[in-house]
Amino acid sequence: MDDQVANRIEVKALSLSYGPEMVLDALSLPIPSGQITVLAGPNGCGKSTLLRAIRRLHAPQSGQVLLDAEDISRLNGKALGRRIGLLAQSPSAPQDMTVEELVRLGRYPHQAMMQPWGAKDDAAVAAAMTGTGVEEMRHRRIGSLSGGQLQRAWIAMVLAQETDVICLDEPVNHLDMAHQLDCLELVTRLNKEQGRTVVLVLHDLNLAARYADQLVFVANGTVRERGTPETMMRSDLIEEVFNVTAEIIIDPVHKRPICIPHRRS
Amino acid sequence: MTSMVEGMSGPVQADRSRWPVYAALALGLGVAMLASLTLGYKLYGLDEVWAALLAHDGSETATVIAGLRLPRALIAPLAGAALGMAGVMVQTLSRNRIASPDTLGLNAGASMAVVLAMVVFGVESLAGLSLAAALGALMTSIIVFGVAAGAGGLSPLKIVLVGVTFAGLAHAVVEIVLTSNEAQLQQLLFWLSGAFVDRPISLFFNGLPVVLVGAALAFTLTSALDALQADDSTAASLGVPLVAVRGLTFIAVSLLTGAAVSMAGPVAFVGLVVPHAARGLVGLRHRHQLAAAALVGAIYTTLADVAARFVIYPVEAPVGAVTAVVGAGTLVLLLMRRLA
Repeated sequence: MDDQVANRIEVKALSLSYGPEMVLDALSLPIPSGQITVLAGPNGCGKSTLLRAIRRLHAPQSGQVLLDAEDISRLNGKALGRRIGLLAQSPSAPQDMTVEELVRLGRYPHQAMMQPWGAKDDAAVAAAMTGTGVEEMRHRRIGSLSGGQLQRAWIAMVLAQETDVICLDEPVNHLDMAHQLDCLELVTRLNKEQGRTVVLVLHDLNLAARYADQLVFVANGTVRERGTPETMMRSDLIEEVFNVTAEIIIDPVHKRPICIPHRRS
Repeated sequence: MTSMVEGMSGPVQADRSRWPVYAALALGLGVAMLASLTLGYKLYGLDEVWAALLAHDGSETATVIAGLRLPRALIAPLAGAALGMAGVMVQTLSRNRIASPDTLGLNAGASMAVVLAMVVFGVESLAGLSLAAALGALMTSIIVFGVAAGAGGLSPLKIVLVGVTFAGLAHAVVEIVLTSNEAQLQQLLFWLSGAFVDRPISLFFNGLPVVLVGAALAFTLTSALDALQADDSTAASLGVPLVAVRGLTFIAVSLLTGAAVSMAGPVAFVGLVVPHAARGLVGLRHRHQLAAAALVGAIYTTLADVAARFVIYPVEAPVGAVTAVVGAGTLVLLLMRRLA
């Protein structure tokens, strides 16, 4: 797969620690352009930190992240904000902020002192709200939205950034099943229709296998293995990474592998 | 989350043009300033005010209007505008709607710095005292945020707790200086609570450039402040340079608070109340929040100053007492709504 598709992002031997604790240990990972890459792994394996390091929210001790072959440490914050969007885990904003005010925040990296808000910004905000189906509620306060609506509003905020790369850190946490599917179908649509490169952190392995083009298992701060869901969803590998014995069957509807965990190994 | 959504489920008409709001506020400010010139222990007609301002004839009426009424009709709105804008920025920085220059101790810190500058360093020039007030506010913000961060995270309540503690300390220092300097008592008493009465007009011209610089700085930060309303991770991933923006915002807040304190002393709770009204009128974008807070703050302090002339007529009440009563009531309401 690596050979046919250009890599939008290349993580090279990235090491990162919080104090004495090593979180990422010489981790390397190519992220193919125009695909959905899903990072999965047990709690504390470093997948969230990896996602945040890709957006340079954490400075690595060594190694680098290349974006279109360019070291991101050389880009300034706004320039990076025009190329990589990140929706943090459990983001927050004032409850009385309107959906439109929230989505407008995504235009921050496109604004400069001498170049204030313009028609391009209005168009990007409108497109982001239409694409996520929140334009109807754009004057509602975000405190009045349901969990699923709120998540779509936040995704609209990231879309308004108009970045080629979109990173979402556990976007379906706290959502019920219907809204989990809703959210991930939306992300898939953005990927397929607009060709955006998507990197997701997902906890639910079956959702990961269903939506990933490239599935990455992160364990102990390194990439244990990566590949298509078909090659990754093996009971031996899942037992090794997640410490559960599991059976893999093929979902009769989507023809994707799904994992049925038995017990902790 | 569901328990917090009551009362704000209705749609907000954000698309409406905000110009009628600004026009109404500007008109309100004009009316308030005219009220400040005409109403008081003595009532004057508009014709007398005009005559006194345009052609000072040396009469008692003209002297009162130009010498006593005019300074407070200018200083009150300028101080109110400065505190309103400072309040907006403090609430955004601390992500805390009950924060203000008062609850962070900035007013008290500025007062303390002025008193110490006068008594210890013998500073007498208005420019020097204004500088001391701004530096006092800046030092206080650094100390309060430093101590709160050191005590394990900048939680909204912790910042306020540290701020209120520091304000108490600063007041104690001012009181000690007061009791040990009886000769300067009258001059120093002013720095304990705010007032617009008996201020020379030179204070206004001294504070004006500081307020303008602070406001100009604030308006260059508006889009970054908008983004800072979200959590740090979101703001940082949008490309907001968090440390630089926070530092510059503190400087703007300190200039505005310091200028207000140097003109009027610590007028209580203006920066707490005004931002709530401003957001209700124009929404959460800082370009509008700051502009509306400046106008609402100016109207609020000017009207409070007029009200202070009548609450215990014929004697004047300190305006800081009027704003403290309104502010304390608002604070209790806000806390009750938060805890509900």
